[in-house]
Amino acid sequence: MKTHSISDQSIALLKKVLDLRADNEKVIASNIANSETPGYAPARFSFEEELKSAVTSGLFSMETTHSTHFPLGSKNPADITGQIVTKKDSTGIGDQNSVSLEQEMLALSENQLLYEATAQLLNKKLSLRKYIIQGGQ
Amino acid sequence: MDIFTSIRVASSALQANSIRLNTISSNLANIETTSTPEGGPYKRKSVYFQTTPLSFQEQLNANLRNGVQGVKVTEILEDTEPPKLVFKPDHPDANEEGYVAMPNINLLEEMVDMMNTTRAYESNTTTIKSAKKMALKALEIGR
Repeated sequence: MKTHSISDQSIALLKKVLDLRADNEKVIASNIANSETPGYAPARFSFEEELKSAVTSGLFSMETTHSTHFPLGSKNPADITGQIVTKKDSTGIGDQNSVSLEQEMLALSENQLLYEATAQLLNKKLSLRKYIIQGGQ
Repeated sequence: MDIFTSIRVASSALQANSIRLNTISSNLANIETTSTPEGGPYKRKSVYFQTTPLSFQEQLNANLRNGVQGVKVTEILEDTEPPKLVFKPDHPDANEEGYVAMPNINLLEEMVDMMNTTRAYESNTTTIKSAKKMALKALEIGR
């Protein structure tokens, strides 16, 4: 039987997404700060694919019936750390800096919006809980 | 999670860019300066940017390694190009042939550099604003 607690799976997932988006914000800030540094290769922080596979496989994952069994399928959403990929300049023109400020600003606002959306979802979830705890008053 | 890391990164860039703006304004102010305490005409200065790791703790964060870096001005370079010679026989700094050594500063180049600096500064203030908004949104959770 599954235990019900105040903080369930989707709250844990939303919490993880907030953490990952905050990390992404740092990486984008670093790219924007170094947009004029010669030789700087911009970094991309990606976690979406990893998160997606963790979430979708979580629905149909195999149960481990013994503590020594290896879990099948992918990992727990809480274990996702994301990956940093740096992209070196391949044009060989100028100062070898491949930061595109437009792309970075776009990534910045996208990340911010998704962070706020996640925070809002979390907020709604928690206020539902609150409503129930107060007996629907 | 640390909200202030992205703000620190952006503020390192703000500082670097304001140093850059200072050198540009020095170049523009001295575009006609023919004598300096070191002797000779004023020489154009330019800043040199380099990435800088934020803190030891940030380096320890394995999954973000080398992904989060600030920026700093490591040195201010003096231009090595020879000065422009302008024929002005009655100028106090003129040589025997009547030529005055003028600073080799291109006004257009400086203006373009200044615009670049302004844009870079603006984009970093946007980063700070965005980080602040995110933090405020996080504070609203559970309210």
